[in-house]
Amino acid sequence: MNPAEWHPVDDATYLQIQRFLFREAALLDRRDYAGWLALTADDIRYRVNAMVSRDAGVAEVDYAIVDEDRLGLKSRIDQISNPRLTRAENPPSMTRRVVSNIEAYDGASAEQFQANSYLLAYRSRPSLPEGGFYVAERRDVLRRTAAGWRLARRDVHLDQVILFDGALSTLL
Amino acid sequence: MPAALGSMNGWVDVGRGLVSREIFVTDEVYRMEMERIFDRTWVFLAHETEIPTAGDYVSRTLGSAPVIVVRDADGMLHGLLNSCRHRGAKICRADSGNARNFVCPYHGWTYEMSGRLVTTTFDKHFPKDFDFSLHGLARVPRLETHKGLIFGSWNADVVPLEDYLGDIAWYIDPFLARTQQGMEVLAPPHRWRAKSNWKVGALNFVGDSQHILTTHVGPLTLDPVRAARAGFATAAENSFQVVTDQGHGCTLTYLAPGLPEDAYQTHPRDLEPLYAKLLSADQFQLLKRLRVIVGTIFPNLSFIETQVGPAQKAVIVRQWQPVSGTEMEVFSWVVAEKEASTDYKSQVLRKGFHNFGAAGVFEQDDMELWASATYASNNPVAKQLPYSFHTALPYINAPEKDHKWPGRAFKPADTEVAQLEFMRQWDRCMKAGV
Repeated sequence: MNPAEWHPVDDATYLQIQRFLFREAALLDRRDYAGWLALTADDIRYRVNAMVSRDAGVAEVDYAIVDEDRLGLKSRIDQISNPRLTRAENPPSMTRRVVSNIEAYDGASAEQFQANSYLLAYRSRPSLPEGGFYVAERRDVLRRTAAGWRLARRDVHLDQVILFDGALSTLL
Repeated sequence: MPAALGSMNGWVDVGRGLVSREIFVTDEVYRMEMERIFDRTWVFLAHETEIPTAGDYVSRTLGSAPVIVVRDADGMLHGLLNSCRHRGAKICRADSGNARNFVCPYHGWTYEMSGRLVTTTFDKHFPKDFDFSLHGLARVPRLETHKGLIFGSWNADVVPLEDYLGDIAWYIDPFLARTQQGMEVLAPPHRWRAKSNWKVGALNFVGDSQHILTTHVGPLTLDPVRAARAGFATAAENSFQVVTDQGHGCTLTYLAPGLPEDAYQTHPRDLEPLYAKLLSADQFQLLKRLRVIVGTIFPNLSFIETQVGPAQKAVIVRQWQPVSGTEMEVFSWVVAEKEASTDYKSQVLRKGFHNFGAAGVFEQDDMELWASATYASNNPVAKQLPYSFHTALPYINAPEKDHKWPGRAFKPADTEVAQLEFMRQWDRCMKAGV
């Protein structure tokens, strides 16, 4: 769908979407991964994309550094949430996700919505006490279900060519 | 301060299995490495399939110098210093692209893809005796390929690439050049910075079987492919390390004897016949019942092939680019046979970087521990205490006598022989440079 044809959601829906995004950010910052996973749809696709620096006017190339279905996501979470199974997240990273600039549009169906937001995620860890930032745009598909809102698709587009510190071990 | 473990014989004491910590944390050693290793030997630059058509280029680093690797209209590859001959500006500031010629963004000096200076845009103001042919972009004097892998060297007198690779070519070809059309990169390289010396990565891939069960307990426990199969330890008895005269090495881990081969140990059934056509019978034999091969081509190119699903093998090419004594930039490509189906390629790409990539479930734990080792070693007290490579000592002078393939083979696979041999080569280069 051409973004020019996107219809912004009504204010009530916008508030619900904002509340959902804030809530799932808080769950991740508290490392309540089970709680976070419960907010994802069974058919979720979760991608994190990095950039390739290209000349202006040349087609952008971004490519996935994470591309998971729900099983893959669960496997990542099982690793980083179990102190016996992770070195990168034990002791855990300290993270703070600031989510802002939310734009929400009607999606492909009556119960599905496109929610784009900006993410500034701070992370410090034992090997990087000074911390660092991931800066990204999230392009999410949110679904309204009888059980509540669910994250059906997330595309995180990092504004970074080179990841700043080691391998990404947290969710964005 | 604690007493050091006796005085070491230089930075690398092969006889005692000791390697100085100093060389893993100091910028002075990094600068010496640039002169004595990275500016003298062959260094990997790019895969040919990253620049398949005329005008395609990638920006890379050779030693500490930025270079452009470009394919010209005739299909010829060129390596050029990415710095204008006029006032030094970077000619290509993008990571990759396609160009008809290279125009410096600063004052407009314009070069052909071979590096030849075409015009300065102010040609009329130049002295009459100004020789354009002497003011092209500095060329990487040696650029050669081995089956798709492009290497460059600043040393015009370096031995031919095939001689430099030597016996390791026999072991890398079954993974990086095993079908008629060859391998292709499936996506741009993942790139990340790690606060760790580049040699830590090179050593990890040349043969560090000892870290697998401790560092990687997470993915080994959780990954259904691995968890469902026999453990690493049982397979170690018929596995081995290979060391070549140039300091290259690899570690091959096989399915334990007696265990039936099943889909989790096999290469794609439709591609295997293609391997058989191109590889020697022995090289094809090398692939059978193989679980993992991991290796390093001195100094900083590594590769791994690992099972990522039933009859699915991800092949990853990895480069450890030094940034300073305590930091490196890692490049990681996933490659697959050109002949493979689109679906197969997308699956091994996704599963490949799930395991080994900028957010890899193996990498996250490696990077954390490598950074912590670098941090904890970078102080005057720790620097007096050499790193231990002792488990190489009982084996390093006893290569397998009946090894029928190139190079020297050592059993078992879980000793530090290949790592100490890598350090021996490093030491040779550093001393030769004096």
